[in-house]
Amino acid sequence: MSLKRIRLLIWKEFIQLRRDPLLIRLLLLMPVLQLILFGYVVAVDVRNLSTAVVDLDRTATSRSLESAFSGSGYFTVTRHVGSENDLRPLLDSGTVKVALVIPEGTQDRLTRGETAPIGIIVDGSDSQISAIGSGYAAQIVAQFNTERRDALGIQLAAPGIDARVRVMFNPTLDPINTMIPGLIAAIMMISLLAIMSQAVVKERESGTLEQMFVTPIKATEYLIGKLTPYAALATAQMLLVAAGGMLWFKVPFNGDFWVVLTGLALFMLTCLGLGLLVSLVSRTRHQAQQAVMFIMIPTMVLSGFIFPIQSMPAIIQPLTNLIPLTFALQVLRGAFVKGSGFEALAVPMLALVGFGVVIFGAAIVATRRRISE
Amino acid sequence: MTETANPADPAIRASGLRRSFGATPAVADLELEVAAGAVFGLLGPDGAGKSTLIRMLATVLRPDAGDAHVFGHSVISEAGKVTPRIGYMSQKFSMYPDLSVAENMEFFATIRGVSRADRRTRAATLLAGMGLDEFTTRQAQHLSGGMKQKLMLATTLMHEPDLLLLDEPTTGVDPVSRREFWRILAGLHRAGKTVLVATPYMDEAERCTQIAFLDRGQIKQSGTPEQIKARIPGRLVEVAATEPRAALAAVQGVPGVDSAHLLGDVVRVLWSGSAEPESVLRAALAAAGVGGAGTREVAPDMETVFAYLADSSAGSGNLLADPDEAPGTGVSP
Repeated sequence: MSLKRIRLLIWKEFIQLRRDPLLIRLLLLMPVLQLILFGYVVAVDVRNLSTAVVDLDRTATSRSLESAFSGSGYFTVTRHVGSENDLRPLLDSGTVKVALVIPEGTQDRLTRGETAPIGIIVDGSDSQISAIGSGYAAQIVAQFNTERRDALGIQLAAPGIDARVRVMFNPTLDPINTMIPGLIAAIMMISLLAIMSQAVVKERESGTLEQMFVTPIKATEYLIGKLTPYAALATAQMLLVAAGGMLWFKVPFNGDFWVVLTGLALFMLTCLGLGLLVSLVSRTRHQAQQAVMFIMIPTMVLSGFIFPIQSMPAIIQPLTNLIPLTFALQVLRGAFVKGSGFEALAVPMLALVGFGVVIFGAAIVATRRRISE
Repeated sequence: MTETANPADPAIRASGLRRSFGATPAVADLELEVAAGAVFGLLGPDGAGKSTLIRMLATVLRPDAGDAHVFGHSVISEAGKVTPRIGYMSQKFSMYPDLSVAENMEFFATIRGVSRADRRTRAATLLAGMGLDEFTTRQAQHLSGGMKQKLMLATTLMHEPDLLLLDEPTTGVDPVSRREFWRILAGLHRAGKTVLVATPYMDEAERCTQIAFLDRGQIKQSGTPEQIKARIPGRLVEVAATEPRAALAAVQGVPGVDSAHLLGDVVRVLWSGSAEPESVLRAALAAAGVGGAGTREVAPDMETVFAYLADSSAGSGNLLADPDEAPGTGVSP
């Protein structure tokens, strides 16, 4: 292995990258724009849900409950209606997505120390809205109860308001917090595959790869020389996209910086290796592009990026283990949101290492096998 | 790299060389010997196996069977000893299109371990000798066809190879640049380099010291251009007439005429009869009422030889078919 030759290859690659007018845009600008765009797609429906209020109680308590909803940012009260019967057309037409029904006598019940039921009706036609909307509603009611109890400064027998939500209760986490880490990984994968898959096949098409075989250069030297400049660019991209995603969407970073960085770096290498492999076995650039498409579609569907793996049929579930993004998502979501450490994420991290070893091993074999056509 | 060729070893010796693509053999049990210092022309129709042969000799393609030795080193087991002594120029332009002339030369020379001092002096000499010195900073993709070929040759010469393997280096290059290119090759020949060059141009074949006709993966004929031309049976007569097509019709079928075809506005007749061809032909033309006809016996040139050899190996009776009508001969008029 000659460092001098590797350095020369890297120098050559950097000159070419610098002269490629599309590359910087494709590699740095586009992922950030995509992240922001897709981020909003995820974010837009869970905020400012149009809400109708049926206040049959008309007391200070009912008004403060209403303002707790409208002040949360998740619900925007757009209608006040006189009776529950008037709600149906509003929900049917989609004018409102959520309705809050405060029955007569709510304040009286609370004052007597009884439990006061209220109704929350959520438009179930959109599972995203129903799940998230009802989750927020429950949180707001719980918060309202806590504040009221604290204000009274006494121990109450009954918990206070009991929110009866009409659709199932779906947890907890702000979806944007789990979506952004996933998006970062998915966008990285798309752009790295797209660029890396062209790297070698471009040389095959221009004939310079064949010319390379008449020089003393070795397969590993060629691979290292080819990969290093792209890895440098990919690192810049990774930091930019991760920082962009966190700052723009104010995703709280609960994790250990090094855990996230290790996970991202492992996944980055896997993506670069996969792209390189596609590029090595493709005969033309067009073929390489198609191969990337064929990789991306099952990756998006089966990795758990869009559809939860737990809800897939049992026969399909093992297939998700063949997809690197599956493990990248486990690492990133775990590290970003739950603050999981190396120990908790050892399995997916090792899986990513395994993918890397297999992919790069195959790449070396593919390079050694000469162009036999 | 500065090691000179051992005169005992031929530059190339190939035996039983075979390579197939799918079921089609591109090179079939080929035997070849090229003496050091030769300018060896490889002729043959498209698909004859010229590129496949050259790529195997350049070590970029592995033979299915047989072996070839370049300066005594096997292209299969000693590729590492072969590549420093050869310069391979593929049929297609194969430099980095987005690197400049100087960067391409610098890159390929450095990767082959040419020292910095040698790179500088050789690049300057080569670029000046090929008239490329004004374009050193121009990206290769913006060069003209002729300049691209010269850049490839210059890059190939940077490590001073003893054997040049050139696969149709002047295809698609204008006539002036082609002459220029062959002037450079002549210089290399004088400097003692061995050149193996595949070419579709018959005028280029005449400038080689040795030529071989390749057809369907095998060498059918080889020798000096004079030896090859002498192998054409019969005599060649050109018939000029005001109406060449009428003249062609008149001479076809005359006993003694092997074949006749149009080349430009003359009819070329390959004569194998025992009688004097010119008088017989003139009589035939007069009998057919073709006016203004004149005949002239000429020495067979490479164009004719090539067409004859390509046709006779294809089993056609029309020995002098117009090469442009024979598909895939790649001969330009």
